[in-house]
Amino acid sequence: MSPDDIFANKITTYLDHGLPDLKAGTAYRLQLARAEALARLADPARATSAQAVTSAAVAGAGNGTGAMSGGRGMGGGRGWLWLGIALIVAAGFGYQQWQAYQQLTDIEETDAAILSSELPIDAYLDRGFQNWLKRASYEQE
Amino acid sequence: MPRYLSDGRPLATYQEISAFLAEVERRAFKQAMFAVRDEHSAVDIVQDAMLKLTEKYSDKPAAELPMLFQRIVQNTIHDHFRRQKVRSTWTTLLSALGRGDEKDDDFDPLETLAAKSDSNQTADPAAQLEQRQVIGVIEQALERLPARQREAFLLRYWEELDVAEAAQAMGCSEGSVKTHCSRAVHALAEMLKAKGVSL
Repeated sequence: MSPDDIFANKITTYLDHGLPDLKAGTAYRLQLARAEALARLADPARATSAQAVTSAAVAGAGNGTGAMSGGRGMGGGRGWLWLGIALIVAAGFGYQQWQAYQQLTDIEETDAAILSSELPIDAYLDRGFQNWLKRASYEQE
Repeated sequence: MPRYLSDGRPLATYQEISAFLAEVERRAFKQAMFAVRDEHSAVDIVQDAMLKLTEKYSDKPAAELPMLFQRIVQNTIHDHFRRQKVRSTWTTLLSALGRGDEKDDDFDPLETLAAKSDSNQTADPAAQLEQRQVIGVIEQALERLPARQREAFLLRYWEELDVAEAAQAMGCSEGSVKTHCSRAVHALAEMLKAKGVSL
């Protein structure tokens, strides 16, 4: 063992001695973090590890579950993202449709009002009638 | 019966992963603390690293866990600094608006109590005090080391990874690990000497 190694080992021994002196809150948070990480273990079946399987089958299954779990995690995240995007697009499309419908309704109402009026449509195009209408409205005021 | 990889190596069991995390969590926290110097961030880094290990790398042999976990920890620390760099831009811009006393609000006196010690404590209070002071000086010296030297030193000597594993965890050559380690040891020796600490 070189002098460097001996010196380094002395330092790490001191560091080891310092480990139990973590603040209680920090130690607790680390414990919680570990518990959460273990809860999310990719393959819960590991907990039992009593099932005997052939190495080839296990290799396939292990890789498969690993990929699936990774995919599930990523897929879940992407799923929410796509769902959000789909909702925004649907909301935008819905708003556009509603606006178009409102516009159509307004036009229909205007058309209906014009057509059902006793006044002929040509009257609105007649400049003299428009002048008379303006005058009449001023006089009323 | 344990499960196996295609090359015949057994996969880490739940119990092995659990025991590994329990053993390594405090050292990982200290490593993160030396790097980021903030307890909350250090705990977050360890938590992220643990989650990444169990979510993405649990289908590995137990023997590979130390190197993998250290690599994840180092990457998470680097990610933390990257995010901090981006955040600091905004912090600088907003600092003119003044700072609140959030840190004081979060202070919990209970958290300052040391966790129940479980080993390696000497009974003599004077010796305990001296030991704590030496540990404090060593930790300060480690904080002052350049990041790569500190990483190499901690991985090689504290995590007891061999040179090849440390190189893999750090993403550099074995020669670099040896150089960083050597420089770290000499720098630490000088810093401790300057503080009047002899080991």
